[in-house]
Amino acid sequence: MSSGTWNVGLISAVIYTTASTLAAAAFFAVTVLTGDYSWVARAGGSAWVFLLSMIILMPTVTPWLRKRLGD
Amino acid sequence: MSQEEKQTRIEELTVPVAGMTCAACVMTIEKALRGLPGVREASVSLAGGKAAVRVDPGACTLPDIERAIEDVGYEVPWARLELLVPGMMGAHCEENISAALNALPGVVSVRATSATDSVVVEYSQALVSAATIKKTVRELGYQVTEKGQGEDSLDRERRLRQAEIRRQILNMLFAWPLGALVMLGTFRDSWSVLEGVLPSFMGEKLFLFALTTPIVVGPGRQFFVNSWNGLRRGVTDMNLLYATGIGAAYLIAVINTFWPDAGFGGEKATFYEAAALLTAFIVLGRYLEAITRGRTSEAIRKLMKLQPKRARVLRDGKELDIPADEVEAGDVCLVRPGESIPVDGAVVDGYSAVDESMVTGESLPVEKRAGDDVIGGTLNKTGAFSFRATRVGAETALSQIIKLVEEAQTTKAPIQALADRVAGHFILGVHALALAVFLFWFFVGFDLWFTADSRLVLTPYTLADMQVFGLALLISVTVLVISCPCAVGLATPSAMMAGTGKGAEFGILFKGADAMEATAKVQVVVLDKTGTLTKGEPSVTDVLAVDGAPGEVLRLAAAAEKNSEHPLGEAIVRGAAARGIDVRAADSFQAVPGHGVEATLDGAAVLLGNRKLMADRSVAVDGLLTEAERLESEGKTVMFVAADGRALGLVAVADTLKETSVRAVRELKRLGMEVAMITGDNRRTAEAIGRELGIDRVLAEVLPQDKAAEVRKLQTEGKAVAMVGDGINDAPALAQAEVGMAIGSGTDVAKETGNVILIRDDILDAVAAVQVARATMRLVKQNLFWAFGYNAAAIPLGAGILYPFVAQVVSPELAALLMASSSLSVTMNTLRMRGYVPPVKRGPPAASPEPARREATAVEVAS
Repeated sequence: MSSGTWNVGLISAVIYTTASTLAAAAFFAVTVLTGDYSWVARAGGSAWVFLLSMIILMPTVTPWLRKRLGD
Repeated sequence: MSQEEKQTRIEELTVPVAGMTCAACVMTIEKALRGLPGVREASVSLAGGKAAVRVDPGACTLPDIERAIEDVGYEVPWARLELLVPGMMGAHCEENISAALNALPGVVSVRATSATDSVVVEYSQALVSAATIKKTVRELGYQVTEKGQGEDSLDRERRLRQAEIRRQILNMLFAWPLGALVMLGTFRDSWSVLEGVLPSFMGEKLFLFALTTPIVVGPGRQFFVNSWNGLRRGVTDMNLLYATGIGAAYLIAVINTFWPDAGFGGEKATFYEAAALLTAFIVLGRYLEAITRGRTSEAIRKLMKLQPKRARVLRDGKELDIPADEVEAGDVCLVRPGESIPVDGAVVDGYSAVDESMVTGESLPVEKRAGDDVIGGTLNKTGAFSFRATRVGAETALSQIIKLVEEAQTTKAPIQALADRVAGHFILGVHALALAVFLFWFFVGFDLWFTADSRLVLTPYTLADMQVFGLALLISVTVLVISCPCAVGLATPSAMMAGTGKGAEFGILFKGADAMEATAKVQVVVLDKTGTLTKGEPSVTDVLAVDGAPGEVLRLAAAAEKNSEHPLGEAIVRGAAARGIDVRAADSFQAVPGHGVEATLDGAAVLLGNRKLMADRSVAVDGLLTEAERLESEGKTVMFVAADGRALGLVAVADTLKETSVRAVRELKRLGMEVAMITGDNRRTAEAIGRELGIDRVLAEVLPQDKAAEVRKLQTEGKAVAMVGDGINDAPALAQAEVGMAIGSGTDVAKETGNVILIRDDILDAVAAVQVARATMRLVKQNLFWAFGYNAAAIPLGAGILYPFVAQVVSPELAALLMASSSLSVTMNTLRMRGYVPPVKRGPPAASPEPARREATAVEVAS
């Protein structure tokens, strides 16, 4: 595997993981700030948001980055 | 040659793929392949079961591609060749053979074993043939015999499909009984009738956990593994929908069992039966897909099966039984009654009747005697004969037809573009929708509408203890499961596969899905007269002489046309010969395209042609005009004959209408189409023929080079035009029309212009082509209606649109059942095409008033 491909994989992993974590954190923050939710709902909901965000972003970010970096 | 050196020569790699069911699978594999280093372009054909990959030289190998495809849950059925190679002496010979074969582009693996004299080769049939592999070994100095029949990609694909069916049957045998027990156990406490029948432990959560877990980690494991492999490559597919659905349902159930106060609905909402039945239904869907897969492309399989495996050839006076792909052009092949003809050729000796229906659609056996052509793959019926091979391997008619149909099935109709876009991007869209639905029910829906009497549709389940996260998650999971776009992805390609295959059965080859769609939309059909509506074999019907010597008129006309290749000229020469006239070639001959000929004979300047030619050469034909007009009004073509500037007489020639022409025109009109005839004949003649055929619009006096312009004129009226004509002479007009139908191509289909090829010389096939195309497009629209209709109706249901009104949500297992039934309904609808026969081909042809007049009878009339 070329170093270029490795870099794209690594950079995109950092991007989609960070973005998903931010989405989950935003969800968590909203639940804390706006409602009287149980900790299970907050944690479970954050985990579900993280999972779905990862699923949405993984196949989106990698090709986008590859195209952008011309790999 | 090293592996690297070999790779530098490969730029486009074609790989067979098994296990695809819909457009989403295509997108998945394309994405996985595009993720490989050095891959510039990847195009996957669902119908053809192939992936074409353009790679940077040396960037990746066939095994890399195979791995990428297998990683996302599909299989690569390489062709496999088992050879008996006696004479290998140890490791050195094994290495030699392996190295030579590995150097061939398309060879994936070689296993040479001197101890058993065997060489096993896996290869891509698209890149290298079995014959080339055997030849390579032979060139190294070894004798080669094929063990058994080998196994081509088609066999392997079938084997893999059967293995998949067996695997899913095992999964079902495991999942369904356990799933049923889980369901009974779950509802034991809810349905009083079960309480008296089932022991109480069956309702215990731990018991249900113990039954469900093996289902999820057993039959359900494939979805988790495949989706994870896909995600690692940055692709999402149906497996991901299934995995998240099953995983989430199972997780909720486990949490509610072991941590009932966690807020997921508690002990009364352990959705074990959801996880179990969801898995069972999805496995059922997989099983049904595996069974129905391939059935829509049955026609191409039938064609492929026709390719004979063995041939008996005469070499050095000996009769040898060899693999059909080793027959060489020039070999004399022997065929006994009941045997298939191995390759294309010309009969040398013997007589028989051959069933060519499988290739040409001709239902009656065709007689063959010395000099006649035979087609590889067709079936010899009665007699024995020998023939000389003329076209072998990829050149045979059958190979060309298979290639054409395969290519047609890999193309995408314009109507498919939308479906593909939707299906291809649907998975991501569904996950985004599931996230949005989750957020909505979490932050808005639960507070607004949740009531204690909430239930799952069609179950006695109460969701009273459900809390905000549990409800939002349940609905989110249901959306994931219910939204599977398999049916959308299947709708168009499956119908196109069935339609192109059905066309091929009747000798009608659509060169692409776009041709199919365009044919269905045709409004005007332009029929070329000569050779299409008529037999193209005109004969002399009348000869008129000014001075009372018609024989002399015919003699001069025939002499002028002696060297002509024009059908009318040939008819005149034939007519003269038939009357015992000694036809001598003219001293000089000059064709005047679209008008006639001028020639010199014994010092006299002879002119033969139409009025325009006579007018151009200042020859007065006034005395012949009355008779000429009468003959023309009967549909005959009149040519004036003049010598040294003086009109001598005229020759009338008429072509014979094909037996089916009148019926074809009537059928085309019945289909609501405008029918036009295009011809170089003068208007009066053309209109007479048009009247006879029932054609209202006659495009007469059109020179061959102007036919395309006439088609263009019709197009400027805003009409979709189909041109039916000779694939070679009418090529420009065929290319100009929206649909060019090349009629009577025979079996050399590769040379034909036009996007629809009618193998037989029967104008009724043009009608059949329109009927097949319309039936196919009807099927496409029905399929799209069902598929889009399903998703349009099911997604809002899954997303809980009814909940505010009835306090019920769709359960994940019901969602899975709905999803499976949508794909099934589309597939079943497509399978209806299997029994389709174009109406024009049903039963005996309707009696049509065929004209008797055109039977060639020479009547000589003295003026």
